[in-house]
Amino acid sequence: MVLTKRPTAQASGVDGRRLRSLKTKQRIIEAYLALAGEKSPLVPTAAEIARRAGYSVRSVFERFPDIHTLQVAAVDFALTLVTPSAPPSATDRQSRIRSQVESRGRSCERWLPLWRSLIANQGESAELRQRVVALRQWDVRCLASIYGPELSTVSDGERRQLLMVLEALTDIESWARMQEFFGLSFEEACSAWMQAIDRLLPPTPARA
Amino acid sequence: MNTLQHRVGPPYIHTTTWAIAYVPAADPGWTCTLHVKDRPGEAHESAVSVPTASKPTRIDGRRLRSERTKQLIIEAYLSLLRENPVVPMPTAAQIAERAGYSVRSVFERFPDLNKLRVAAADYGLAQAAALAPPRNVDGDRKTRIKSQVETRAGTCERGVALWRVLVFSVTEDDELKHRVRLARERTIERLEVMYRPELSALSERDRRYMLIALEAITDHESWARMRELHGLSFEDACAVWIEAIDRMLPPTPPA
Repeated sequence: MVLTKRPTAQASGVDGRRLRSLKTKQRIIEAYLALAGEKSPLVPTAAEIARRAGYSVRSVFERFPDIHTLQVAAVDFALTLVTPSAPPSATDRQSRIRSQVESRGRSCERWLPLWRSLIANQGESAELRQRVVALRQWDVRCLASIYGPELSTVSDGERRQLLMVLEALTDIESWARMQEFFGLSFEEACSAWMQAIDRLLPPTPARA
Repeated sequence: MNTLQHRVGPPYIHTTTWAIAYVPAADPGWTCTLHVKDRPGEAHESAVSVPTASKPTRIDGRRLRSERTKQLIIEAYLSLLRENPVVPMPTAAQIAERAGYSVRSVFERFPDLNKLRVAAADYGLAQAAALAPPRNVDGDRKTRIKSQVETRAGTCERGVALWRVLVFSVTEDDELKHRVRLARERTIERLEVMYRPELSALSERDRRYMLIALEAITDHESWARMRELHGLSFEDACAVWIEAIDRMLPPTPPA
């Protein structure tokens, strides 16, 4: 997995020593994310993370007092990578549906192992649970934005209900089932979602 | 658990209102019978779409007690799971205490806790089939949607804790993977039965996509989110599904 957004002295305005420490922390987080994806839903051990990052186990625990703290930091970092895609330039209904579905499909493919690891290991951690909720809310906000024209034609209650259903339909596990259980290709899975979304959405209002 | 016993074992008999004649899902000739009020001779067959075994098995008292113990252990596990879903596998001591048996009794019937989890999955499948037979299959569109949604909602409400454990344990256990697949296949079959008139109007491809989408929308986790995250009541959550399915389905062809 190629991750970006590493800290730089220029960006963060810190001295060299502190920057090296931040880089070490970052490499540990990246090692954790890579291993969590590979071993999902199992949690990698500190020794595995240290080996992958190229540091000692002690270095890991100097920066993260326990694996749970590292998990939380890794999820926060992953959240920064799930940046909202630019709103589709085309405004017609079919183009918006296609754009949202394809973008969501790619995102699901990328993040499925880590998502499963997060869900399976959130346990009683309030921090991890909060982040799961935050991710779901973020998905709902994206749907509300992309399908704003159609959703603007219904009552608040109906809008809320439609968003719940759209979120369930385009859930990451729904994507995984289409591929793992139903054996659909990326394109077929996109087609299944596009057809369903088009049926669920109310008619697009005429442009003013 | 003795494999042979597991495969041909007698029904689990519940001691309270419901009794679920239980034969594991792995048995190709399994049957699932819903007994009401636990009285011999008063069994009411449920119309579930699974093949039935040729003849009911006669069982002696000792064997029956042993099966009751097994069932109570499974139910103890399930009740602990519902109470504390973040602990997917309570300890054998906790399960034994809840069931009212010794830890030894647990391990006599389930050599390891994975076997208990598999048995709980079979129990959940049998329960889902027994308590959720298809109703109003020949009703009008609104009646069928309401019936399917309420049945599915009941299954999700009862089974979500166990379902989560199964889904996140499938990578460790092929037996569980098989049962999760079976459960999904049954959900799809039920959707096909309930919405046959509307589905018949679609091409094969669109019909398949429609079933996939309906299954996604009415998934256990979709139900759980409506209840846990959005705080909807059972009725309000059913209303969301009913509205969504009505939007999704093509017009009902004239009879």
